Amino acid sequence: MAFYQAGDSRVHRLNPVTKLVFALVLIIAAFAINVVWWPAVLWLVLLPAVAASGVFRPFMSRTLRYFIPFIALIFLAQGLFYPEGGPVLFHLGPLSVKVNGLLFAAQTALRLLVLIDAFLFLLLTTHPGLLMSALTERGMPPNISYVVSATLQIIPTFRARAQGILQAQRARGLDTGGGGPIRRTRSLVPLVAPLVLGSLTDVEERAVAMEARAFGAPGRRTSLAEIPDSAAQKAARWLMWAFAAATLVANALGVVS
Amino acid sequence: MITFTDFTYAYPTSDAAVLRGIATEIPDGQLCGLVGPGGAGKSTFAYAASGFIPHVMGGESTGGVSVDGRPVADTPLSELVAQVGLVLQDPFNQISGAKFTVREELAFGLENLGLPRAEIIARVDDMLDRLGIAALRDRSPYELSGGQQQLVALGSVLVMRPSVLVLDEPTSQLDPAGTRLVFGALDEVRRTGITVLLVEHKLEQLAGVADRVLVLAGGELRLDGPPETVLADPRLAEWGVGGTRFTEAARRAGDRWPAGRPLPVTLDAAVEGFAR
Amino acid sequence: MISTAVTGRRIPPWTYTVLGTAVILATYLYLLIDRPSSLAEGGQGSSAALIALGGYLVGSVLVVAGATAKLPPSTVAMMPVAIAINVVIGQLVNVLGLPLFLDSIGTVIVGVLAGSAAGAATGTLANIIWGLTISPASLPFAVAAAAIGALAGLFARAGAFRRLWTALPAGLLTGVVAGMISAPIAAFVFGGAGASAGRTALNATFQAFGNSLLGATTLSGLISDPLDKLVSFGIAFVILAALPARFRERSPFVRKYAVFGRRKAVLEAGGS
Repeated sequence: MAFYQAGDSRVHRLNPVTKLVFALVLIIAAFAINVVWWPAVLWLVLLPAVAASGVFRPFMSRTLRYFIPFIALIFLAQGLFYPEGGPVLFHLGPLSVKVNGLLFAAQTALRLLVLIDAFLFLLLTTHPGLLMSALTERGMPPNISYVVSATLQIIPTFRARAQGILQAQRARGLDTGGGGPIRRTRSLVPLVAPLVLGSLTDVEERAVAMEARAFGAPGRRTSLAEIPDSAAQKAARWLMWAFAAATLVANALGVVS
Repeated sequence: MITFTDFTYAYPTSDAAVLRGIATEIPDGQLCGLVGPGGAGKSTFAYAASGFIPHVMGGESTGGVSVDGRPVADTPLSELVAQVGLVLQDPFNQISGAKFTVREELAFGLENLGLPRAEIIARVDDMLDRLGIAALRDRSPYELSGGQQQLVALGSVLVMRPSVLVLDEPTSQLDPAGTRLVFGALDEVRRTGITVLLVEHKLEQLAGVADRVLVLAGGELRLDGPPETVLADPRLAEWGVGGTRFTEAARRAGDRWPAGRPLPVTLDAAVEGFAR
Repeated sequence: MISTAVTGRRIPPWTYTVLGTAVILATYLYLLIDRPSSLAEGGQGSSAALIALGGYLVGSVLVVAGATAKLPPSTVAMMPVAIAINVVIGQLVNVLGLPLFLDSIGTVIVGVLAGSAAGAATGTLANIIWGLTISPASLPFAVAAAAIGALAGLFARAGAFRRLWTALPAGLLTGVVAGMISAPIAAFVFGGAGASAGRTALNATFQAFGNSLLGATTLSGLISDPLDKLVSFGIAFVILAALPARFRERSPFVRKYAVFGRRKAVLEAGGS
């Protein structure tokens, strides 16, 4: 819910599993091949898919938001403090900037970029409910689909209630900076407690409602919605898995380094 | 049909019996109301009638409960729920959360029962129309008002075509608009001939739909009869059950209410009586 | 089809869980002991990241498939609420500026009320949902989340939740395990860059003092995670104590292992 951008592009209409496989394969390939600039190539492969789905702007804005902090931190951590040996570029006081450190930082940063963005691409173009249904079709236990969907839907309600409590506290002037985190926590606890306790005791009624919908019934479930798939997508998925397998083999054999 | 045979029950964490010697039968097609003070055992009664006692709640019981002739204790819960539908009080808790639109939510139970897709589509679309919520079909259940959510809960249970429907204070968390929605739906439901057990506090609305009312107090059935008789009974106050405002108005009217005429429990009966 | 197999028609679910746990432990031990040979010890050019990510991913999938398949509806109904509690408290703590995460309290609650399998499943799914809604960068830490739930269940079974003063050390130990098991991911996949600048600085400092990549993140983990989980277990204990006895005792797991002690259940006016 939080990421999904509704849309009608061809990418949106692809079977969710195809997009999931695409993301996983990109990530596997990024981590399997040890060439430093390789993940950048994969990222460039990702971009046209993103553009084709019309989610370019949310994609870039979120990439910047999640990724920029990491870049800075990685380069600082490994650029300056790399524990292993190797040639030193220059010294900064007691710290040494090592070549291997910079290479490691660069490789890690690029891999993380692919990791985050491959998933972002999936999440921006796929409704979570549809993803869950598609996976259940392919054998994922329905309990997982239920838990993920239900959680996604009740979190906003809980958040709204928690916000209400925070605002009530603010209205009473109890949090105007002077309190400090411990004091604010102490005043919040009696307010948040009923929220937590109430939601837990509600579980009994929720469980009864679930059972009343035959959720505990044995046997094969059917589905109202039909999630489209095509021979072309099936073939594409096989090819993508084959590619991922190839990169893993290359890694095991120590080829391409 | 629901049959209670000398049914006594205590919850697992307690020794005191919540229901004592309940013996009654709700025949096919009847809409039977159940009223009583808090703590009397009304929810327990509802759970027992729908098989959640003993299957989910456990506990010790003597005597038995049967639905359509089969004891609920002997029927697996997954079969029972298709026979007896249960609707509870809190609209938020009855939305499964598994589905993102009202239409899919209505289909949830049928999917779990493994019905063929064409059948699911037919039943769901029909239910949307019958309950008058077709306009909400693509909305998220979490965006709806409490009354609308209760209609969705009711629909998702009715769509399984149970022969019995049990409702435990379905309007207690609703505003007047929501209450009207639910009682309107109940009116529609009783026309289908389904047997209904309706636990309720809102006596005036209940009087408008019920064929019969049971009074449960202290774990025992005290009164049993048509709403005009039961809801006007003077002993209701002593048991902690309220009464309708129409009855109270007629009582206070003293001799302005025609002597010998039974006290009213509905608006129409009150108007008719006072008009004389 | 996984689910037909997993629901016991061919392979019982617990096999998946055991296998998954074995894979996770094997991955961890391999990375710890048998450092993947390469140009550097886990740094640039090594396969450590791939092995850490891959091993943990495969292990998590197996564990969650096995753990969720046969949960009773009452437990399954609890999980979304527990995960929502994770997210809400976690974000509240963030807003308050406390130096803790406290984002696993719901997971612990499920582990204590319904056992290790349910706890592990809740932790993994909570992590996935965090990844789906807040930050995909947290996904590689699914194993730690699962471990927290699983350990909460184990400690509950052993009676640690009968008293606050046994629940707190249980939390501490759980934090130690969580910290250690996350260390390879923090080191090899994230290059020592933690969730905050502070955490990263800690890693960098340890590296500066001569520790390897893995050593540094392990030490950082041992500093912050145990405290966070100690407090989490404590809060979970308090919440559970505040719940009505009738609610707690409904769970077969609680009854079987006397999770909250063998006091006679408080007589309460049963239902209405």
